[in-house]
Amino acid sequence: MIEVQNLTKKYPTLVAVADVTFSVREGEIVGFLGPNGAGKTTAMRVLTGFLPPTSGSARIAGHDVVAQSRRARSSLGYLPESAALYPEMRVREYLAYRARLEDVPGAEVRGRVDEVVASCLLDEVAGRKIENLSKGFRQRTALAGALVHRPPVLILDEPTVGLDPMQIIKIRQMIRTLGRERAVLLSTHILPEVDAVCDRVLIIDRGRIVAEGTPAELRRRLAGSPVVRAALKGTVAARGDLEKLPGVVAVQETASDGETRVRVECLPEADLVEDIFHLAVARGWVLRELARDVASLEDIFVRLTRHDETEPGASAEPVPEPQPEPPAPEGTPS
Amino acid sequence: MRKFLAIVGREWKAYFLSPLAYVILAAFLGLNGYVFTIILAVLNEPGAPKDQALLYLFANGFTSWFTLFAVPVIAMRLFPEERKSGTIEVLLTSPVTEVEVVLGKFAGALGFYLTLWVPSLIYIWILRSNAPIDLGPVAAAYVGIALMGGYFISVGTFASTLTKNQIVAAILSFGMLVPIFSTGLLDYLIRDPKNRDALSYVNMWTHLEEFARGVVDTRRVIYYVSATAFFLFLATASLAAKKETP
Repeated sequence: MIEVQNLTKKYPTLVAVADVTFSVREGEIVGFLGPNGAGKTTAMRVLTGFLPPTSGSARIAGHDVVAQSRRARSSLGYLPESAALYPEMRVREYLAYRARLEDVPGAEVRGRVDEVVASCLLDEVAGRKIENLSKGFRQRTALAGALVHRPPVLILDEPTVGLDPMQIIKIRQMIRTLGRERAVLLSTHILPEVDAVCDRVLIIDRGRIVAEGTPAELRRRLAGSPVVRAALKGTVAARGDLEKLPGVVAVQETASDGETRVRVECLPEADLVEDIFHLAVARGWVLRELARDVASLEDIFVRLTRHDETEPGASAEPVPEPQPEPPAPEGTPS
Repeated sequence: MRKFLAIVGREWKAYFLSPLAYVILAAFLGLNGYVFTIILAVLNEPGAPKDQALLYLFANGFTSWFTLFAVPVIAMRLFPEERKSGTIEVLLTSPVTEVEVVLGKFAGALGFYLTLWVPSLIYIWILRSNAPIDLGPVAAAYVGIALMGGYFISVGTFASTLTKNQIVAAILSFGMLVPIFSTGLLDYLIRDPKNRDALSYVNMWTHLEEFARGVVDTRRVIYYVSATAFFLFLATASLAAKKETP
């Protein structure tokens, strides 16, 4: 439903989006993940037809965003950053206005407004002025506005920013529900959000996609070698025995406070938790802790978007490793 | 067309939800009331030209200058407000064209300007119940008011596409309107008949008087309509160009 080919957007002083290619299918929720200023908002603005691309192309539901801009725009629902709304309007009035702008036939406007008021849980505030609403309700009103014409494609720019945890959970549930029959592209810099909501992740940094895959895939591919941690009672010289286990790459041992902590780095695909347990039983070590270190998306994200060094691990397919240039000044349009 | 009407309706209503609109409305009402008392005074003067008195309700210095100040204030919010709040993004990413947006906003603002004149109908009614009044020139005068208001507001609309700041937009449109309005006044100073003709073609002062006398001259109508269209075209072009630089 969203197809992006070699999309580039240049500003006079920087390249905000550099040669980006990806697609989003119907029924799929794709997360655009990147630090602030990575080019997420710019990419979304190009997709929504708000900004023209410098080169490359993008299609929304088969319509080119430049050549068939109007058709492309009518197939998408867009929730811009910071949920821009008219403060002086009432919720229902605003939604009816949006519906009319989006070509909803006059006879259906009322019904559609009722529909999104119900689905976005806005009943209790439907008659209130937008300026008097809480941030959560405003965000939901803006989302309702993006849904009122039942678009097959949804583009949501940081949909949960500034909400409290309960509101975040509600919005995420809504997005999951919406994503069942639509193509959803959402941007975020909040990592748990990606895990909670997205089927697939695009990590974008300095305008380039530096990694792509499901959250689990990314972990597997980019996490590096698995690590097992163990804590043993007393001061034990475990290192020698551990290093003899098949599949072990390296062992670190630190002893303190009557406890010996070991960190065992293993070969990829090797699962040494059980081996270490059996070894401990055989040697009579008292195990206080035994755990797999799961590389979080956070680690991957930090590694991919860190700029002080080049990470060879990050160059794993499908896209080239993050390039140290062009320099992207902080605080530029994201 | 439905989208255009949706935009017009929203813009027009938005004025009545802001305090500024009521300040302008109240000031205009006060001014018109004052002018009306003068008209009454003239009518009470024995031997005064009674058929001309009503003309001053429309063609008088107070109203012209007031309009010159009020229009920039009316038009200044059109685009800067949306730019500041970010709603411009929602508006321009919905399936509407820039022309629809510009025309919708222009018509909304013009609608508000014309609303300012609605209370003046009371004066016409009062005068009519006491003296014979020919409604033809009155209707012509309202046509003139609408044409001139449209021209001024199109200038204000264009100015408001140029900046994110409402005050700057107001100053810009005031800066454009003053020369537009006052160039025509120079025709009193010019002796050369050709230049004089040219200047009188743009002399809004005399145009308003003509309209108020009941003369709807096609040349005037063409002048106002084409000038309005020109500034609305500039506004559309400016809005489209602004897309390049958010």
